Amino acid sequence: MAWIASRYAVRSVGRNLRRTALSVVGIAVGCVLALFMESLNRGRSELFARVGASSGIGHLRVVPAGWRARRDPRLRLADWQADVAAARSLSGVAVVTARARAQVLLAMGTHVVPVELAGVDPDVEPRTFRYVQHMQQGRYLKTGDAGGLVIGQTIAERLSAGVDDDVVATAVGPDGQIQSAMLRIVGIVTTGSEDADAGVCQVARPDLERLTGLPGAGEVTLVLDEFRHAEAIRGELASRVSRGDEVLTLAEVAPEIQGHFEQDAASARFVSAIILLIVLLGVASAQLAAVLERRREFAVLSALGMSGARMVRLVVQEALLLGVAGALVALAVGLPIIWRFAHVGLDFRRYMGTFAFQGVLLDPVIYGDFGPWIVSYVTLVAIGATLAASLYPAWYASRTDPAVALRVAQ
Amino acid sequence: MSEAIVTARGLTKAFETGRQQVWALRGVDLEVQPGEFLALVGPSGSGKTTLLNLFGALDVPTDGELTVLGQAVARLSKHERAHLRLTAIGFVFQAYNLVPVLTALENVEFVLELQGADSSRRTRARAVLADLGLGELADRRVNELSGGQQQRVAVARAVAARPRMVLADEPTANLDGENAETLMHMMRDLRDRFGMTFLFSTHDPRVVAHAARVVTLVDGRVARDEITPGEKR
Repeated sequence: MAWIASRYAVRSVGRNLRRTALSVVGIAVGCVLALFMESLNRGRSELFARVGASSGIGHLRVVPAGWRARRDPRLRLADWQADVAAARSLSGVAVVTARARAQVLLAMGTHVVPVELAGVDPDVEPRTFRYVQHMQQGRYLKTGDAGGLVIGQTIAERLSAGVDDDVVATAVGPDGQIQSAMLRIVGIVTTGSEDADAGVCQVARPDLERLTGLPGAGEVTLVLDEFRHAEAIRGELASRVSRGDEVLTLAEVAPEIQGHFEQDAASARFVSAIILLIVLLGVASAQLAAVLERRREFAVLSALGMSGARMVRLVVQEALLLGVAGALVALAVGLPIIWRFAHVGLDFRRYMGTFAFQGVLLDPVIYGDFGPWIVSYVTLVAIGATLAASLYPAWYASRTDPAVALRVAQ
Repeated sequence: MSEAIVTARGLTKAFETGRQQVWALRGVDLEVQPGEFLALVGPSGSGKTTLLNLFGALDVPTDGELTVLGQAVARLSKHERAHLRLTAIGFVFQAYNLVPVLTALENVEFVLELQGADSSRRTRARAVLADLGLGELADRRVNELSGGQQQRVAVARAVAARPRMVLADEPTANLDGENAETLMHMMRDLRDRFGMTFLFSTHDPRVVAHAARVVTLVDGRVARDEITPGEKR
């Protein structure tokens, strides 16, 4: 074992304590910033799942064959009741609800508004669709509530309608014939986002069946106890649903929202990379200065017969010590910050108010992710960055010409 | 006569300084036999350090032939030259050049560790230091030692692995007369006991008095090569 070389590396790190401290602080600051970004990114996955669970998309959804490609709301499941029963039989499933959808024209007086009307189970729907949990005007649908309609504020304004007003709903039947029904507005939803309000238009499923002449449900939505188990439950459910029906994940149902989140994550990772690059260059500069200061010493070691590879190892070993110290400081500083970020979150309400994307209301409070991954992440980033930063100084040290250095020294 | 430790034929060395070429050695012919105690003397700039650098495989000649311990230095790779230095040549520098963050013992042990010596290396290093009168100071950091003590540590580091040749560049330049004398006696004693070859460059007449052979360099050439009548005791 190279004990003396190791002792030499340790003591060399302690030679210029101010430079070592600055390097360690630099590594730690870079790591904490990168850690924050990573926590934010992982938190985004949780936020995406939370959005899915609360906006009616669900964590998993059973859809009819062909829906994924055509997204046609008239498609119906092969046997929705069997699918609901299969979903409810699985452990880890919190809520299961069946819906049907149709493209409908709502008209009142001279006002006509095209909407996607959802036929829902009024008893279960508020547990998967948080917008209707608190009605601002009127009330929510009830089971057996024939002809009742709940709409968003935006649709109400376009129709110039209020609670207890009657509207005419017109849809195309299965054979292409026009079918109409009179519906009464029982409640109006105001989320604070025009975009989100424009997407709220619900009746009880039997009413939609009567209006469209299409029986059954077009989707079965599942909310899970833990979104991280989605893939496993999907596999299990896929083998139990009716033939022809398929199970999709949240990302497959709402790829545009997933894309939005991924774009944000990529931007955050790019920022992390820039931060780490700056840290890396700073550490490389400090390491190179340390090597240049000890040029004569390296020349002597070379004269004594130390090989270039050993010299590289020596400098890398010193960098490794800086990396470990930087990781420890980063963990000491970063853990409380990330814990707070994960439990209290960052509230963007003051800066962006209510924010919707593609009609889905996004939560303005973002939580970071806090878990055991932090230790390995910080260790990897700190040590990886310092090792990378030490490569050039190490190579430079290994190239020290003993004769030239000794001549210069004398 | 046994095979020469160093053989130089028509050895030249030039350095580029800007656009100029400076000739440090201009055709040196020299042969060094095993066990010699040889002093290289001459005025500043005569090429003493350059010649030691070449003999120590720290550098390669511009022209001419140089064989050190049976190996043609110019044909060796950088790595091979490093290996040759590690296994067969010891160095003592004018400014001691010890590793300041290590103790006297660790400085000596470091060379043995580089050589891949076994676990007995600590004992060996301690024995060499004790041999040079530094047993009590072995665990002190070298910057806590006097100049004379540091130079003795440097000698201990150079001889610990029992190299066949020890090169010393102005080894007494930073020492007072008494320390210089002590050091020269120690080096000669090591030569006598272990048969090592010692080559040292010097300006110091007290040091020259210890040499068995004195080679005088002037303007990069051997001006005189004398066998002295007897070594100073």
